Amino acid sequence: MPGSDARPEKRVIRWRHRLSVRLGVVFSIFTILIFAATLGYNYYQARCMITTKMEAYARNLVSATVGRVETVVTSVTAVTESMARSLEIFPFNNTHLLDFVEASVLSHPDIFGSAVAVEPSPDGRFQERYAPYFYRTKNGTAFVDLKESYDYTCRDWYQIPRELGKTEWSEPYYDEGGGNILMATCSVPFYEMQNRQKQFAGVVTADISLKRLTDIVSGIKVLKTGYGFLLSRNGTFLAHPRQDIIMNESLFSLAEERGSQELRTIGRRMAAGESGFIPFQTIDGVQSWMYYAPLRHVGWSIGVVFPEAELFSDIRTLTMTMAGIGLAGVILLMTAIVFIAKSVTNPIRALAAASDKIAAGDFEAQLPEARSKDEVGFLTRDFRMMRDSLKEHIRQLTETTAARERMESELKIAHDIQMSILPKTFPPFPTRDEFDLYATITPAREVGGDFYDFFQLNENLLCFVIGDVSGKGVPAALFMAVTKTLIKTYAKEAITPEDILSHVNEELAEDNDACMFVTLFCGILNTKTGDIQYANAGHNPPLVVKKDGTVKWLPRARSLVAGAMPGVVYEGESLRLLPGDSLFLYTDGVTEAMNLEDELFTEKRLEKDMTFSADMGIKDALQRIMDSIHQFADGAPQADDITMMMIRYSG
Amino acid sequence: MDIQTRPEGRATVISASGKIDAMTAPSFESSISDLIGEGKLCLVLDLGAVEYISSAGLRVILASAKSLKGKSGKLLLANARGSVQEVLEISGFGTVFSIYDSLEAALEAAG
Repeated sequence: MPGSDARPEKRVIRWRHRLSVRLGVVFSIFTILIFAATLGYNYYQARCMITTKMEAYARNLVSATVGRVETVVTSVTAVTESMARSLEIFPFNNTHLLDFVEASVLSHPDIFGSAVAVEPSPDGRFQERYAPYFYRTKNGTAFVDLKESYDYTCRDWYQIPRELGKTEWSEPYYDEGGGNILMATCSVPFYEMQNRQKQFAGVVTADISLKRLTDIVSGIKVLKTGYGFLLSRNGTFLAHPRQDIIMNESLFSLAEERGSQELRTIGRRMAAGESGFIPFQTIDGVQSWMYYAPLRHVGWSIGVVFPEAELFSDIRTLTMTMAGIGLAGVILLMTAIVFIAKSVTNPIRALAAASDKIAAGDFEAQLPEARSKDEVGFLTRDFRMMRDSLKEHIRQLTETTAARERMESELKIAHDIQMSILPKTFPPFPTRDEFDLYATITPAREVGGDFYDFFQLNENLLCFVIGDVSGKGVPAALFMAVTKTLIKTYAKEAITPEDILSHVNEELAEDNDACMFVTLFCGILNTKTGDIQYANAGHNPPLVVKKDGTVKWLPRARSLVAGAMPGVVYEGESLRLLPGDSLFLYTDGVTEAMNLEDELFTEKRLEKDMTFSADMGIKDALQRIMDSIHQFADGAPQADDITMMMIRYSG
Repeated sequence: MDIQTRPEGRATVISASGKIDAMTAPSFESSISDLIGEGKLCLVLDLGAVEYISSAGLRVILASAKSLKGKSGKLLLANARGSVQEVLEISGFGTVFSIYDSLEAALEAAG
C-alpha cells in the first residue's frame, strides 16, 4: 500500500492541550480577573463610604457624650465658683458655713460632696484651719471635718488652686476619709480683702462621683461590641467595659507593656486634647476604628471604638455573596464554552482520527457526518471530497504503477534473455591451454546494447567479437540479438573478419529506417601461431598488453559503424601475439564512465590501469579495471553497459 | 543540452551545446526533423559547444543525414572538438560525412 511505511505517529492530545479546555481556562481566567477587579473596587469604595459615614456618626456620638459629660462638669464648676464668690461677699461664721455647704450639696444632684477649707481669719471668726465636708448618703447628708481625717494642706485639691489662684479640677482619686468613693474634685480659691489687700481665705470644693460620668460613657453602645471609654489627663482609664483596668492602667502603661509606638502616639494626642478618627487595635487585640475627642474643662478624653469586622461585616457579606454568584457564573460560562468548543472540536478530532487512518492508507475510514452548516461542516465536506479524489488518484497511480511494473518486468525479461545469449562459462575451453579468454558485462539499469561473443571456427581458429548497439531499450536489445546471430551465421561462411563485417553490415543496413547501428570489432585468432586477423566497424580501438607490461593501442579503424549504410567495405588488419601477450577489448562504457563531476574515465586512465595487468590473471585484471571504474565514479550512477574481454596467448 | 538555430546564407546553422546522450537525443532529433519539415535542406551542425556525444546522438546525425539525402539536401558537421571529434573519428562517421574544422569552412562548402 503506498505511503504505508510513512505511518503517522498516533496522536494523543493531552487534556490540557485540548482546544475546549484551553478556551475554557483562558475565558475563565479573564472573566475572574475582570470580576475580581470590579468586586475589589466595589468593596474598596463601599469601605471608604462606610468609613466616612462611620466617622460622622462617631463624631456625633462622641460630641453628644462630651456634651452630656460637660453639662455635669460645667454646672458643678459654676456652682463651685459661685459658692466661692458668695463666701467672698458675705461675712460668715461657722454656723453659716455649715448651712451653706450642706444646702449646696442637697440642692445640686450632680454634686456628691462639697467642702470649704478655711484659713484662720484675722478677725477671729476661725481660730485655726477648718474644713467642714458634707457628702451625699442614702438618707441625706453626712458631715466630716476633713482636718480630723487627714492633713489636707498637702492635698492637690487644696494646694493647686491656692498656688495657681484659679479653678482647678483634680485627677480622679479615691477619697479615703472623705466620701470613700472614686471621685474628681473641682476646687476654687476664695479671698478676703484685708487692708485693701486680697488675702487667700480658703478653698471651696465640689466632688462629682466618677460613677455619674462613667455611666454616661458606659452607656455608649455601637454595633454589637463597640464601646466608649474615658481617659484622664494622664491617660488613666476612667471608664472602660473592662472593670479591672479602670484606675489601674493608662494608655501609656498599656503602650509600654505592648511596646506599641502607635498606642503611645494615640495617648499623646488624646492627652493633648486633639480629636480624630483612626484605625486602632484594642487592648484585646481586635482590629478596630476609633473616634476620640477631648473634654475641655477637665482635660479628659473620650474614645469610641468600632470593631472593624462589625463595621464592614455588611459589605463583607455582600462581597462574599457577589463573589459566590460570580463564581457560579464563571462555572456556568466555562461549561458553556467547553460545550461549544467541544461541538467544534469533536468533529475535528473525529476528522483528525480519520485522517490518521487515511494517512496510513485506509481510504475506507469512516468520516464523521457533515451535519452543521458552519466552517467545521464545510471542512468535513471538503475533507470527504479530498479523500475521494485522493482515493481515485491512488487507484489510478496503483494501476499505472502496476502497468509500469509489468513493463519493467518485461524489460527485465528481455534483458535476461539478452544476457542469456552471451556465453558465460569461463574458462570457455578448459582443454585448450594455448590461450585463455575472459569476458564480463555489467549492464546499466536500462537495457543496453553491448554484447560480446566467441566461438571456434575450427580447431585452430577462434573467432571473437565485441560490439555496442546505438541507443538503449528493447530496440537495442533486439538489434543486438540480430547482429550476434548474423555474425555467427556469416562467420561459418566467410573466413576473414572484414568479410564477416561487410556481410553483417549489408544485412543490417537493409530497411534500417530507425537508422540504428552497431560498432563491431571482430577478430580471428590462430591459436597455433598467435596471429590475429581483425576488422573494426567504428568500435573503440582495443589494446595489446605485452608480456613485459607495455601497452600498445591498435590503430584506429576509421571505418563506418555497421548498419548505418549499405556498401561499406571494411579493411582487414593483422597482428601477432607473442606468448604472454594479451588483447584487451572493451566498449565505450569503460572510457566514458562518468563521475559526479561529469568527468570521463578516459583512455588515459584505462591505459595506466592496463600496465599493471601483465602480472595478473585475466579475470583479476578485468576485476581490477572494474574496481578502478567504480572508484572513479564515486557513486555516480552507471549510464551505459560496461563490457570487457581479454584474450591472453600462451603459445 | 541546448539547441539554437539561425539562417546563414542558404544554410541553416544548428548550434548544439552540452551533452547529446540517450536522454537528450530525442529533443535533438525533433529539432532537426522540424527544420527539415520546414524545408531547410542545407543544415550545418556546429558541434563546437558539445561536450559529449553518445551513440544515440550519432544515430540522430545518421538518421537526419539519411532523411536529407532522400530530399536532395545535405548535412555538414563543423567544429567538432575533443571527445566529440574522437567519437566521430572512431565510429567512421568521418568517412561518410563532411566534417569541417571551422564553421566558416562548412558554410563555404555549403555554398
